Amino acid sequence: MTPLARRRELAVSVAVFLALIVLWEILSLVYTAEAQPGEPMVAGWGTLFTRTLLSLSDYWQGGFGVKSVADGAQRSYLAAILSLASHSAATFVRLISGLLLGGVLGVALGLGVSWSRWSRRLVELPTQFLRTLPLLAMVPLFQLWFGTYFFGQVLFVAYGVGVIVFAGVVNAVRNVPQIYLDNARSFGASRSQLYQTVILPAILPAMRSVTLLSLGAGWGAVLAAEYLGAQSGLGYIIVYAQQFGLLDRMFLVALLFILYTSMSYWAIQRLFARLLAWSPAEAAQ
Amino acid sequence: MSMAAPNPRIIELVEVGRAYTRADGQAVTAVDRVSLTVPEGEFVCLIGPSGCGKSTLLQMVAGLIEPSSGAIVVDGKEIDGPGGERGMVFQRDSVFPWMRVIDNVEYGLKCRGVDATQRRVIALDYLRRVGLAHVERAWPRELSGGMLKRVAIAAVFANGGRVLLLDEPFGALDYVTRHQLQDVLLDLWEEPGRAVPTVIFVTHDVDEALTLADRIVAMRGGAIVDDIPVRAERPRDTDSLLMPDMVAIKHKLLGHLGLERAPGRAAGRRARGESAA
Repeated sequence: MTPLARRRELAVSVAVFLALIVLWEILSLVYTAEAQPGEPMVAGWGTLFTRTLLSLSDYWQGGFGVKSVADGAQRSYLAAILSLASHSAATFVRLISGLLLGGVLGVALGLGVSWSRWSRRLVELPTQFLRTLPLLAMVPLFQLWFGTYFFGQVLFVAYGVGVIVFAGVVNAVRNVPQIYLDNARSFGASRSQLYQTVILPAILPAMRSVTLLSLGAGWGAVLAAEYLGAQSGLGYIIVYAQQFGLLDRMFLVALLFILYTSMSYWAIQRLFARLLAWSPAEAAQ
Repeated sequence: MSMAAPNPRIIELVEVGRAYTRADGQAVTAVDRVSLTVPEGEFVCLIGPSGCGKSTLLQMVAGLIEPSSGAIVVDGKEIDGPGGERGMVFQRDSVFPWMRVIDNVEYGLKCRGVDATQRRVIALDYLRRVGLAHVERAWPRELSGGMLKRVAIAAVFANGGRVLLLDEPFGALDYVTRHQLQDVLLDLWEEPGRAVPTVIFVTHDVDEALTLADRIVAMRGGAIVDDIPVRAERPRDTDSLLMPDMVAIKHKLLGHLGLERAPGRAAGRRARGESAA
């Protein structure tokens, strides 16, 4: 692509983005219905970044020399930003812990299917049960088992992620070209060397889409876990706002979500671009 | 590597057979009770038409396919699966795309636990010998098909196996590249100062077999039908392939490949399945 064409594409993207913002503003001016007195169904940008943002200081629990609203302090932008940062951090910690736990278990069990006849027998039936159970059907069970504990929320995310990673790894291992396995074995590679030096790198290209899929599932699962009764996190803000019909707050948090998920997808893309520097398909892009 | 007296039977195939069942349920014999003894340091070309079982036989020696009958003994031990002492070069690209060229050449040494500095020295040396020192840090995707084959050959020699198995390694290459690689292979094979590796080289190219081999074993229908020594001096050029005894061998081989009607006597012998050696 020439620089000029690239600039033109960028210009189109920016124009679409601005148009969406303007459309929303127009919608907020035209459609003035209210969920309850003083709470518009569609809040305009002016409202969102002043009153709504300020109202998020309600969720600040105090600290860093900034008192919480519950302790009698006035709403402030500083408290609002601190509040958003702390609740975002709580969500991130749950998400990342769940992704790591689910990712590691999914990869380990997925590799276990091909490792040996014994490991296959051990892994196949239990994972078959787990993957056929819909994640949302497990919500009440997790709620009763783990309540509001951090571990339960992480486990829920790990479950949602792990099922996808497991299926992806099993499929990717099955598609590793036989020639590489034969080559490694004729060089005298042991089974663990075969997994480390051939199977793991060979499944990496397939793992990119698996990772992006499981990241999406992870974001969904962490929100669901927070709906279940966490006392922190972006999901908690949404549930709280829903109970009081505060649509503008829900919308602001949703915007934040778009930002976060986009950033996380971008980071994964960058990570895999680096990991797959060797891949002919990657180089062609 | 020891320079002890060469083992006169480094590879021994005893009544090796391989049968399998096709998808339609019919039993097929790919290799039918083949016996063959190869002395250490010999360069054997295994030639035959497509589907004659030569590749299957080689894969069994490599340990990648299990024989359904018989035994394969390499250096006094019955083989059980693949092993680093038997290097293998495949027709298809087998170089790992996720490792840099130098890491590919070091691979076998790494599997055996040779320390990093030592294996780097060995790998660089072989990379230089195949003329690829300048692409040491390149990714395989940046190399041509011929260069990839050089990497595969360097890797196999760097690993120092006493037996080298090559499965139509140059079959997918163009004429010029193929001839260059035949020279590369012979140079490494005859490298002074180390025990000469024993080679089984599968090909369907008669001229390639005549250029390379000490001995040409012809297969057909899963069995060995001929076993011909080639005594011409190396290096063999275009002229040496035109010597009368070479031309006679070529005629025989073309007959085995079904490309030429062999003289009546030889044809009759072949029909009865006897060896002409």
